[in-house]
Amino acid sequence: MNKFTKVLTAAIVLGLFVGVCVLGGFVEANNKVRIALVLASTTDDMAWSQSMYEALLALEEQMGKDNLELVVSERLENPVDAGAAIRQYADQGFDIVIAHGAQFQSVVFEVAEDFPETSFAYGSAFKTGPNVFAYEPLAQQGAYLNGLLAGYMTKTGVVAIVGPVESGDAVKYNYGFEQGVKAANPDVNFRIAYTGSFGDVVGAGELAKIHMDAGADFLTGSAQQAVGAVRACAERSGVYWMSTDMDQSSLAPDTVLAAQVYHWDKLVAEMLELRKQGIRGGKHLYLSFVDDSLEFRINPRLADRIPADIMEKIEKAKQDIVDGTLVIELPGGTK
Amino acid sequence: MKRSNRVAQSLSQLALLMGALLMALLVGAILIGIAGANPLVAYRAMFLGPFSGRFGMTESLVKATPLLLVGLGVITSFRSGILNIGGEGQMVIGAIAGTAVAFAFSQWPAFILLPLVLIASVLAGAVWGGFAGWLKARLNVNEILSTVMLNSIALQLCLYLIRGPMIDPEEVAYGTGTPQTAQLPRQIWMARLVRGTRFHWGFFLAVALAFVVFIFLWRTTIGYRMRAAGEGPNAARAAGIDVEKYQILAMALAGGFAGLAGMVEVLGVHRRVLEGLSAGYGFSGIVVALFGRLHPIGAIPAAILFGMLTLGADMMQRAVAIPAAIVMAIQGLVVLFVVGSDILVRHPEIWQRWFRKKSPGTQGRLEADRAGSGNQ
Amino acid sequence: MQGVVISNVVIGILATGVRLLAPFLFASIGEMFCQRSGVFNLGVEGIMMMGAFVGFFVTLRLGNPYLGVVMAILIGIALGLLMALVSVTMQAPQGISGIGLYMFCWGLSGLLFRIYVGFITSIEGFKPLPIPGLASIPVLGPILFQHNWLVYLSILLVPISWFVLFKTDWGLKVQAVGVTPQAADTLGVNVNAVRYQCLMLGGALAGLAGAFLTVGQANMYADNITAGRGFIAVALVYFGRWNPVGVLLGSLLFSMMNSLQLWLQVLGINFPYEFAVILPYVVTIAALAVAVRHVWAPTALGKPFRRESI
Repeated sequence: MNKFTKVLTAAIVLGLFVGVCVLGGFVEANNKVRIALVLASTTDDMAWSQSMYEALLALEEQMGKDNLELVVSERLENPVDAGAAIRQYADQGFDIVIAHGAQFQSVVFEVAEDFPETSFAYGSAFKTGPNVFAYEPLAQQGAYLNGLLAGYMTKTGVVAIVGPVESGDAVKYNYGFEQGVKAANPDVNFRIAYTGSFGDVVGAGELAKIHMDAGADFLTGSAQQAVGAVRACAERSGVYWMSTDMDQSSLAPDTVLAAQVYHWDKLVAEMLELRKQGIRGGKHLYLSFVDDSLEFRINPRLADRIPADIMEKIEKAKQDIVDGTLVIELPGGTK
Repeated sequence: MKRSNRVAQSLSQLALLMGALLMALLVGAILIGIAGANPLVAYRAMFLGPFSGRFGMTESLVKATPLLLVGLGVITSFRSGILNIGGEGQMVIGAIAGTAVAFAFSQWPAFILLPLVLIASVLAGAVWGGFAGWLKARLNVNEILSTVMLNSIALQLCLYLIRGPMIDPEEVAYGTGTPQTAQLPRQIWMARLVRGTRFHWGFFLAVALAFVVFIFLWRTTIGYRMRAAGEGPNAARAAGIDVEKYQILAMALAGGFAGLAGMVEVLGVHRRVLEGLSAGYGFSGIVVALFGRLHPIGAIPAAILFGMLTLGADMMQRAVAIPAAIVMAIQGLVVLFVVGSDILVRHPEIWQRWFRKKSPGTQGRLEADRAGSGNQ
Repeated sequence: MQGVVISNVVIGILATGVRLLAPFLFASIGEMFCQRSGVFNLGVEGIMMMGAFVGFFVTLRLGNPYLGVVMAILIGIALGLLMALVSVTMQAPQGISGIGLYMFCWGLSGLLFRIYVGFITSIEGFKPLPIPGLASIPVLGPILFQHNWLVYLSILLVPISWFVLFKTDWGLKVQAVGVTPQAADTLGVNVNAVRYQCLMLGGALAGLAGAFLTVGQANMYADNITAGRGFIAVALVYFGRWNPVGVLLGSLLFSMMNSLQLWLQVLGINFPYEFAVILPYVVTIAALAVAVRHVWAPTALGKPFRRESI
């Protein structure tokens, strides 16, 4: 068997030789901005990943394909493959590598050290480096408005969350939502349960059904699993879904009452601007209501179901958030 | 068997392996075509990627390291007649246990702490794997069933720990709550060997262990008994070997190797425990073991080859912008074709039949061939 | 817990459990036939993914979920054939072939979804079909008789498969092939043909199980929609000791534990949800560990059959 091993080794060397013989150049030289996007799920998850992908497409449209090159890697849910992708993009000389997930923090910093010329961006996060941008949607704010609306509107007095995994962005969103619900009506029965998976749409659908069986009429939830819950809610009348990350109303036009929508294009444009000024990182960027990069959108089909006085309270809360008179607490208490 | 015969046999096996790869890639080309890309361009990126500069070269070896370690465990268990598909869970259990030890004694110097951490990860993985072996040996619980369950349990347990008790204090302070531990004490990080890459010396540790496993399985009494238990449990029992005991031991060793793989990943690549650490190595390690024909030394080139294949496929997907799903599909095809073609190695008469017309004398000679090819 | 009547909760837990049961039952019973004949098909998860995609896709394009189910079954049969080709004819190690099939199917379903659909969208799947009369029985009605027809079919499959396995000639052949293939061969049973048939049957049921997820449960498709259910189904076959009734009990235990943990979370009974999620796994292992030590199993399971190699 040892012989076999040797032969196999020889074959690998041979492969290397053949490889070098066929080798052609991949070098591309021009002055356009090159952006690489690394995603944990897919560009069509109708949530976190798709929101960023569509923003970058819009930016590409706006700037023209000659000025912006965009490449995407999806399904990099584990840090090993994500690390390889981020490192490869940096190695290929991309200007900005966006690792779209808080879980990429560790790999981003590890690669960033080796490639000081490249800008890296990741989020939701707080920790920046000399060539690392951290970005973050102030998701607790839109969550608060979603919660407020649900708290005012619920008829059964039960509002529920279909959570993915109790960590990171989901926690922030859920916490903001809960505060909104409680602010609207402290007597509302607020329930939260987790599927234990970011991607299990069937499980999320079942969990939503259970929530509804147990009386909930307003539901929400984040991550790509949420679409399963949206669909389950659409089966029942009198039940509403509050969506986040993207407007999910295309999936259930009569069920999605309101949506917190992320507009990443502004944030990425800001990064490009900073880079032009020679700033490669070190900034913490936000999506917020202040510059409309965070949007609170009421489904126009269902707008007439929201009484005017409630709509007024929502608008006021939003204005207070923008003014800074209303601060939505975060879990852990700080920042 | 004669030496020249052995070389011929090895060559034909290699040719077969490459043939299977080629067939898989041909079918894969159809998929790439469906996805709207030029298969030739795509495959050029796939095969040249791993050789293009320091990133590709080193990254293949980074991937090969855990693959080899898990593969060694699989070989040990397979040779003892029990299949370990619990590598995923054992990896994270090993990583989390080693990390806990590292934090508990974070002030200790590296020459004590590093071995201690590695041993802790091996032990934890061994307990997790050994438990499945014990369930099998003593309660007759099928190991595939129990390891699938234990994988899920380990992943959730790890998630609970890195989200709760062991979370990075920084994550709590800033309220972001990404599930990961703090960075391990710097003195025990496995040094990186090439600047600008994450290639670390864990690879050489894995290669050295491959030789240890070879000596253990073929040159020690325990190893001999384990293989005897795997080759024929009844005969082994008749010879007075406690087959069940060796099965537990085999699963414990398999778990230990997987646990070590997890810890080496942490020490060399991530420097902390985070979600998704096992990255499917627990499964692909099985494939590596098979590629290496269930021989510890054969597993070394097999791990490198498989590391290059997965990396190359990944790079191909990025180079020609086709859906990432295609990589998984092609890997699946490679596995199917490789294991499917294996019959031609075990029973060469089948393909000899394709080339020659059957002659009356063939059958007897083939029987003799097969008797000879039963060696390991 | 305010606002929730205890009896409603109990009914809710049981009804949810029955609904969660169907995909496991379809896939496990199919897998049971495979294993009874001596083939261990770990590719069930992958076949389910393809079944889920095809069921969804056909329903989306043609608007007919019944057609979706039929096509999912057909694709399941085709993939069962592929598994048979590799593991029966080519005699490859079954565990690994299964993993290969799983990877192939996961990739293929993801690829086809991206190319031919490209975005998440929903379909009109099967609606619950309360059985007249029975559905209005208090307690039992909501638990058992207010589901869609596939759920009823999955439960009916238990007695049907029991009958087929133990009372028909073909079933006896399957059993013989899985225990003493050499003897069966001598008696003129075509061992490999029986294994092919079982893998096709198993594939068909796995495809159906997948279609249930998209057409009967989620009414949509997303990447990796099976989320490990196929592997659980394989485990449940061992749990059920290769017996349809045992498989039913195992699937029931697993889905009830799952339903219970979801309900406990919904009702705000506070404990780390990770423990809730692993509850079904722990209970399954525990139940196995206290079960009888040495029970019967198909002795030829995992061993390719080769005529000359007597």
